[in-house]
This record gives sequence, C-alpha cells and structure tokens, in this order.
Amino acid sequence: MNTTKPVSKVLLVDDSPAHTEALKPFFDEHNLIALKVRDSGRLTTVLRTNIDLGGVLLADDYGGSIEQAAIVAARINALRPELPIILRRSGNATTPALAQALQSIVCASFDAADLSTLRTAVDQYIFSLDFPNALVRGIAEITEARLGALFDGVTVRRDTPSVVRDRIIFGEVFSLIPLEGSWCRGYMLMQTKEEPLLAMIERERVANDGGADAAQACFRDLNSLLGELTNLIWGAFKDRFLAQPGARAASQAQVPLLVNHKHRYISFGSDNPQLCFQYLLKHAASGQSVAIDQRFVFSLNWSPEDFSENTVDIDDLVESGELDLF
Amino acid sequence: MAKILVVDDSSTVRDEVAGFLAKNGLDVATAIDGKDGLTKLKTDSNIKLIVSDVNMPNMDGLTMVEKIRGELANKTVNVIMLTTESSPAMKERGKAAGVKGWIVKPFKGDAVLETFRKLAG
Repeated sequence: MNTTKPVSKVLLVDDSPAHTEALKPFFDEHNLIALKVRDSGRLTTVLRTNIDLGGVLLADDYGGSIEQAAIVAARINALRPELPIILRRSGNATTPALAQALQSIVCASFDAADLSTLRTAVDQYIFSLDFPNALVRGIAEITEARLGALFDGVTVRRDTPSVVRDRIIFGEVFSLIPLEGSWCRGYMLMQTKEEPLLAMIERERVANDGGADAAQACFRDLNSLLGELTNLIWGAFKDRFLAQPGARAASQAQVPLLVNHKHRYISFGSDNPQLCFQYLLKHAASGQSVAIDQRFVFSLNWSPEDFSENTVDIDDLVESGELDLF
Repeated sequence: MAKILVVDDSSTVRDEVAGFLAKNGLDVATAIDGKDGLTKLKTDSNIKLIVSDVNMPNMDGLTMVEKIRGELANKTVNVIMLTTESSPAMKERGKAAGVKGWIVKPFKGDAVLETFRKLAG
C-alpha cells in the first residue's frame, strides 16, 4: 500500500472465499480497504452505517445466482445511488434482459482472471480525482496543529486519509466553508458529534474557571467552537495553498447544495469524490475523546495541474499570535 | 477609563480575548460584527483600542475601519486586526485604511498584552 496516498473503503459483496482471497493483494496494491458483507440480510444495515464508502464490488453470482445478484445490485443502487458498483463476472450464462438490467446499474465489470479492467474501473470511478501528496500532507499538518491547540492536554491521532464517494453526513453537527482558488473551488466540512465535544468544552471550562462556578456549556458554545476551528483551518489552508499572487477563481459559477435532514444526506451537485480525514482528540487524564471528520469537496473546479504550495515552514504557521505593528 | 472593544462574530473568540483582557484588569466591550462595532464606538467615547476580526457577516473588519476613519472621521482610535488572514495584500489594505497592527490567529494574549495596554492609553 502506498502510505502517502489516500485509501478508499469498498464494500465487498462476494461470497466466494477464493475470489475474495485472490483480490487481497490487489486491494493492498491499490489502497483499497475491503469491508466484507458476510450476511446478505445485513446488507441494508451495512450500507446505512458505513458512511465513508468509495464504492461497491459485487460478484454476479452473489447469493447463488445472477438473478439474486441483480436484486442485490438494485437494492444497493436504490439505497446509495452515489456509490459506483463494479461487477465481478463469473462467466455464468445470463439472459439479455437480465444483463441489460445489471448493465444499467453497474458502472464497470471485470473478470477475475484479468484485473487490469478492475484497475481501470477503480481509477476511473473511485480514485477519479488525483489529490497531490503535498495537499494531503499539508491539510493534515494544518488541522492537527489547530486541533492540538483547541484544548489543554489533548493528543490528536489521525487515520489515513480516504477518498469517499458517498454523501452521508457524519455525526450531529457540521460546519461548511467555501474554498476559492485558481486551481480549486469547493468546500471544507468539519463534522462531529455533539456530546463528546460538549464534554470536552465543559471539562476545559471547569479547569480554567474553577469548579462548579463554571457556566454549563450548551450547543451554541459547541457551534461557536466548531465555527472558529473551521475559520482557523480555512485561513491556514488559504495561506498555504491559495496564496499565489494575483490568483483569482477562474469562474464564479455556483450550484445549489442540497441537505436532506431526514436522510442525513448532503449533495454538492457533483459526483466528484471527497477527500476525507478522520481525527481523534483524546484527553488522557480524563479519558475523554471526540472524533472530528473533515471533508474536502472540490465540486466547482479541480485543476491539480495548477496546484501550488506556499512552502512556509509549518512552525511559522503554528507560531502565529505575534503582533505585527505597522 | 480607557476601554478596548473586541469585535468578532465568533463568541468563542470574543469570550477568549475579552475574558483574557478583563482578567488582566482592562475595561472591555464586545461587538458581534463590523456594523455592531461602529455602533458601539459611536456611543462610547471611552473606547481607545479596537481588536477586530476581518471576516465577519454584515460588515467585515476592514470596511469597519474604513468607515471609522472616513464616515466617523475618527483618526485617534487604534485598531488591531486579529484574523486568520495573513496575505500581504490584505495587510496592505489594512495599513492603508489606518490599521495599527495585525495579529494572525490564534490569539496569544501574553505576547500582546503590554502593547494593548499602551495602545489603549
């Protein structure tokens, strides 16, 4: 696995142990993390609970026949139409009608004997945007520095960044801020759950303001903290990646964002994959922890060939707070 | 007593900065955006220093400074920007508008307290 590149989680819907075993080296080589659905009855639950998927690999003999596999494909497509489904062909005979029905749902198919078509499909439908390593590394550095300064005594752990194609909202609260540059246009989301972050705010208040006299934290305090954290990361992102002299966004086109509260779904009007980072803040002394999910959605412009980085030393970025008198 | 006006749309930042200054014996007022900042300045002649964010709803911090120097013709109140913005172009605009200094967030009170005291008179 290339550890400098983002990974992507794929749902492996294939009940052939031999094939799933044979695909393991391919997954490692192509930065894919396979989540296996052992019981087809749990497929709906798995799809609803895994919020950061990059795609689905489905065997055309899943469930014992191509008819069953077609039903499963239709279920997946109905539940998560944004997820690309890549079909493993078993070579079983099929009717033209069934083949056509499957064809309309899956984005590509491959034969286990020739993984080059799978490689092409993964590149085309899962890793369709190439995120520069310097961008991925820089985002992580910027964010970790600011998260680490959020509360006294916390450590920050980060998972390997991932490429996500689904549109499901993580947690209970999120902030959203536009990113406008000459080589990219889109949004950054910061998402989290309310209770663990509130608990951290509360603990910090008690520690700083002194015991029971400290005012109880409420969701507005959390909103404000998340907003300011977003603002700090946004400012640092702009300095580092969007600071070219005279840089202007090439287009001012906008598309509506769609948030469906009931289904915890957000669409940016584009099928582009999202670049996702997961951080875990942990306060060792109290045992408190909170997960922060950060997503970058370059839905309005993505021209990585024009990517540039302002190579200011990260220590200079962290050592802000000095007064520059004019 | 000379007063410092903290202008920021984030209550987290307002609480942090105003709380720090008050703990250190300074008289502090707060405003939630540039428009509110202008109103507070008009009605409180004790304000001698403004510490303001740049990016805010309704009226941004640099527009507020331009209005202070222009519409209000107030050339004496000192203004320090406290912001995530650090581009030279933005600082130049601030300088031209009559900003006295620039701090890139996050706020580190100990590093600036004495200067704030002097600027607040």
